[in-house]
Amino acid sequence: MASVSEMYDVTWEEMRDKLRKWREDNHRNSEQIVDVGEELINEHASKLGDDIWIIYEQVMIAALDCSRDDLAWTCLQELKRQFPGSQRVKRLAGMRLEALEKYEDASKQYDSILQDDPTNTAARKRKISILKAQGKSAEAIRELNEYLEQFVGDQEAWHELSELYINEHDYGKAAFCLEELMMTNPHNHLYCEQYAEVKYTQGGLENLELSRKYFAQALKLNNRNMRALFGLYMSASHIAASPKVNATVKKANVKYATWATNQINRAYQGNVTNRVPGC
Amino acid sequence: MAEPELLLDSNIRLWVVLPIVFITFLVGVIRHYVSILLQSDKKLTLEQVSDSQVLIRSRILRENGKYIPKQSFLMRKFYFNNQEDGFFKNTKRKVVPPSPMTDPSMLTDMMKGNVTNVLPMILIGGWINWTFSGFVTTKVPFPLTLRFKPMLQQGIELLSLDASWVSSASWYFLNVFGLRSMYSLILGQDNGADQSRIMQEQMSGAAMAMPADTNKAFKAEWEALELTDHQWALENIEEELMSRELDLDGMFNSKH
Repeated sequence: MASVSEMYDVTWEEMRDKLRKWREDNHRNSEQIVDVGEELINEHASKLGDDIWIIYEQVMIAALDCSRDDLAWTCLQELKRQFPGSQRVKRLAGMRLEALEKYEDASKQYDSILQDDPTNTAARKRKISILKAQGKSAEAIRELNEYLEQFVGDQEAWHELSELYINEHDYGKAAFCLEELMMTNPHNHLYCEQYAEVKYTQGGLENLELSRKYFAQALKLNNRNMRALFGLYMSASHIAASPKVNATVKKANVKYATWATNQINRAYQGNVTNRVPGC
Repeated sequence: MAEPELLLDSNIRLWVVLPIVFITFLVGVIRHYVSILLQSDKKLTLEQVSDSQVLIRSRILRENGKYIPKQSFLMRKFYFNNQEDGFFKNTKRKVVPPSPMTDPSMLTDMMKGNVTNVLPMILIGGWINWTFSGFVTTKVPFPLTLRFKPMLQQGIELLSLDASWVSSASWYFLNVFGLRSMYSLILGQDNGADQSRIMQEQMSGAAMAMPADTNKAFKAEWEALELTDHQWALENIEEELMSRELDLDGMFNSKH
């Protein structure tokens, strides 16, 4: 098997920088991380200096994702040796137990972390993900709600909660979570678009109007959001087709729908061979 | 003042001015690392973390509430400010002002602060004064009155000497404050060698008690939230959006 550095002709510094970039951008390309990281650890450990510890952590999590228990175990041992009694390492040990589906032991591990440090958010979140992995979504929702009562500012948690609610078809509560995210990230077009989709799914004239507005907002934030453009068209035409609206509203919505159609045509003009990417 | 300029021996420059700069700088760096070693862990309680996040959420609601529908904004405002069971109205935290005497961790912190900062300054200042005494070190570029003479010219007993000529001790103090920006460059912001910042903190630190602050902070947020109105940013969004064509340049290129 050719090594990564041979295949792509990169030096160890470039590999290390690539790992850092993946770490900072929170990429989940676990197989690549395992390949690159394993080679760095095996061949160039001495040159990495103190960087090696965070690389161990990153590679360990990626290894758990790829079912590489051997690699995960080695990384964990190294980290345990260097940082005995560290909360962060304990959390990694718990994650390994989770990957082996030993949920009881993992739960105990996280409980011990929480005993030492009740403010540790990572351990709490891992416990909730255990519940999710076991398929106990009602309990997961309840726990996540309690968690969010304490830590109102955790955006990752709000997003997770909105996803759980959508799976349970509780669109009202999902909309609430997305509103929190929209407030904290007013320039993120994706939250606006997801909110609009939830409102569209809820249905009803008011919600359709709201969804149309938020699709428009997503488009304003990012002119190229095709999904929002299609959403705008659909919500506008839905409202126009509804029997309950008066003439002015109908006319306005027909205008919006026509505008949306024009924009869609413009976008796909001259690109007949390109398929629409996953809309 | 058209006085004849004093010409100082260039040895003074070599053996006094530069060594004092080096000494001050190295002492500062050592102080920084010592303060890191002696740093005590600040343990926050769950309540403190939770409260700070709630305050942030309320602030965000005030600032960015215009991006969510009116109904949602009112719902949240009601949750916080309601007369009977609003969060800000109801939650009272226990007020324990951490005076230095009752709170042992604050006491040790203060002591450590003093030891790492004030003590070395006094010691080194005194040593420099003793070692490099009896001559003039440098001249400050602006004229000073005679009142400054005993302070800045320790050890030089010349009545007629212009107060602008100062001794090595004052050069040392000048360095202590002047090298602050160097420390920020080399040690990064918020370093332990930054003495004037620490002194400022000590003066205002006694007044900053966290628990009492929480109640007051809640009250301030309550008032601010009461005053906030909801101006929906999406009122005319369709008109704004459709006033011009979408920017779809190069969207489906192969490189996209």
